[in-house]
Amino acid sequence: MSCCYSYDGTLAGLLTLYARLLPERVAVERISAVLLDQQSLFSSEICIVTELTVAEAFWQRLNSRLSDNSLKLLRRCLLADHPEQELLIYRYLLLEAEQGQRIDGMLAHPVVASAWKLTQQVGREAHRYLGFVRFQQLQGGIYYATITPDHRILLLIGSHFAQRFSDQQWIIHDQRHGEGIVYDCSSKEWLLLPMNQESQPEITPQEEQFQQLWRNYFQTLAVPERKNLKLQQGKVPLKVRACLTEFGGTI
Amino acid sequence: MATDLTEKLKILADGAKYDVSCSSSGSSRANNGGIGNAASSGICHSWTSDGRCVSLLKILMTNRCIYDCAYCVNRSSNDTQRVALTPQEVAELTIGFYRRNYIEGLFLSTGVVRSPDYTMELLIQAVRTLRSEYRFNGYIHLKLVPGADPLLVQQAGLWADRVSVNLELPTRESLLLLAPDKSRDAVVGPMRQVSSLIVSNRAERKQSRKAPRFAPAGQSTQLIVGATPDTDRQIVTLSEQLYQRLELKRVYYSAFIPTVADSRLPARPETPLRREHRLYQADWLLRYYGFSAHELLDEASPNLDSELDPKTGWALRHLELFPVEINGASYEELLRVPGIGVRSAQRIIQTRRQGHLGIDDLTRLGIVMKRARYFITARGQYVGESGLESSSLRSRLVDAPKQRCPVQLSLDLEQPVVDETASLITGEL
Ligand code: SF4
Repeated sequence: MSCCYSYDGTLAGLLTLYARLLPERVAVERISAVLLDQQSLFSSEICIVTELTVAEAFWQRLNSRLSDNSLKLLRRCLLADHPEQELLIYRYLLLEAEQGQRIDGMLAHPVVASAWKLTQQVGREAHRYLGFVRFQQLQGGIYYATITPDHRILLLIGSHFAQRFSDQQWIIHDQRHGEGIVYDCSSKEWLLLPMNQESQPEITPQEEQFQQLWRNYFQTLAVPERKNLKLQQGKVPLKVRACLTEFGGTI
Repeated sequence: MATDLTEKLKILADGAKYDVSCSSSGSSRANNGGIGNAASSGICHSWTSDGRCVSLLKILMTNRCIYDCAYCVNRSSNDTQRVALTPQEVAELTIGFYRRNYIEGLFLSTGVVRSPDYTMELLIQAVRTLRSEYRFNGYIHLKLVPGADPLLVQQAGLWADRVSVNLELPTRESLLLLAPDKSRDAVVGPMRQVSSLIVSNRAERKQSRKAPRFAPAGQSTQLIVGATPDTDRQIVTLSEQLYQRLELKRVYYSAFIPTVADSRLPARPETPLRREHRLYQADWLLRYYGFSAHELLDEASPNLDSELDPKTGWALRHLELFPVEINGASYEELLRVPGIGVRSAQRIIQTRRQGHLGIDDLTRLGIVMKRARYFITARGQYVGESGLESSSLRSRLVDAPKQRCPVQLSLDLEQPVVDETASLITGEL
């Protein structure tokens, strides 16, 4: 019997899948997200149909059942962008069903260790992006930033920026995953929305000036005798530089 | 005006960049209706081509100086262009950079103009403008000017998150030689004052949460390493005292790089960065691993071994304590095993409650087996390729020459225990 399952790529779909498979302790080999219009009658995968009520009830059960530790792990793994994250989470939840909160101490168990590793990757990237966001002031006063993170970290960084820049309108746009956070400073609320690349936004002359000042300042800071480009590259990987003003990146 | 400002910023950043401290952690200041807040775990915003983290806008108010310290680019006898920013300009730059998320806040230092008091007042005015006019709640690190009036020192601490005076040279003699205008007392005096103000402020805030906070991120200082013949033992012992007696948050070490010629200064030393790196490791052992200075260095060996990290060096001198059994050792004992860091020690304690750990479990817990294997057993099993008595042990543990270049350790390590996202590798010894 096949042990490959698919769902529609939404969070509700994935939760429905878990809700169906977990109680039966089904052995699963692969879980894939297959968008609705690509589903085929003849595929070997068993397609789990999304049911909102099932998903919601399951989410609530998880919230009351899991330890804080496991919940945090679950949230972060759900935000990961990893080819096997669905399966990793499934295996973790299976083990949790068996072990209960003892799972928090089982750091050396291969299932727990790999879920933890992913959790930390997501957490670490989110923390790094607290620093890597660069706002540009656009005509009209909005501060706009683009990022291209590996994982879908916006939900993890939104409240930090909402607290810090509570008196300015801002948008952080994750171009890689096609979503963004919009913050409204009059209502002090932020929203995660689907977002596409629009036309080149126009920046203010004052913005130009600050970018220039910042680039100059950044150039001056390095101490030539201590030059260490490898170390720098470890800290600021080339892939993030396109969005960093000091490395020449603009929108 | 813009080009003028660009030029000034360049000169004033250049004059401040040898101050290595750049931490922005340890304070948590909420944003109450203005702009900004201070994150308690510290955030790096970028890294320069020398691999150092950029977290604060680090500038001098002015590079004019009436003093003539031998190691300093801003010394009065150095023929260089002199400029100054107004407090207003400092505030505008900070806010402009902050709104774009370039920085966590401001690190404001200065040369001494007219008198220590006059200079200190200028700095305070800049910070006051930021805090009260711009309602800026981000991180501010303010330098105290040696010799400034205690009342001004107190004010400075009320506006800033962290204050610091650089000790610069570890001994009185070295200071006298290279910075004849600054007496040791003029430097240590404000440090003492700040330390006691922090203590009394803590008590006040216990009484009333409304009492204003004094330097909530504490004080730090910097030592220049390699400009004078002082030994590592003198330096590490001094740091230990600073942590214990004055409760400093951090001591930074800056490998001396000559920027001006002076007959009192040595030629460029051979491996200044490696020595700096070892000192940061020793410092780390003092603060988080329960070591004391005399365990790391003594009269017989007053300098840190450049080939071994100081913990491995200590372990090799105390082979009688090893190997330790992973399933039985206390947390303190685990911390002293080379290859086991704060976090992996915590994980071992947490995980072994569920059952005894075997050798294979250890790598998954983040233990550096390359080093640890010689010093541990797991369920009685020993997996070092050679025993502890082997004469080749030392050479097996020596840092491979093509290792990553010495790194300024300060940043990622700021909060090794609580910050789950901090770098795992760099601080673990
Ligand atoms: S007082 Fe400070 S700025 Fe002036 S020369 Fe000495 S170290 Fe340099």
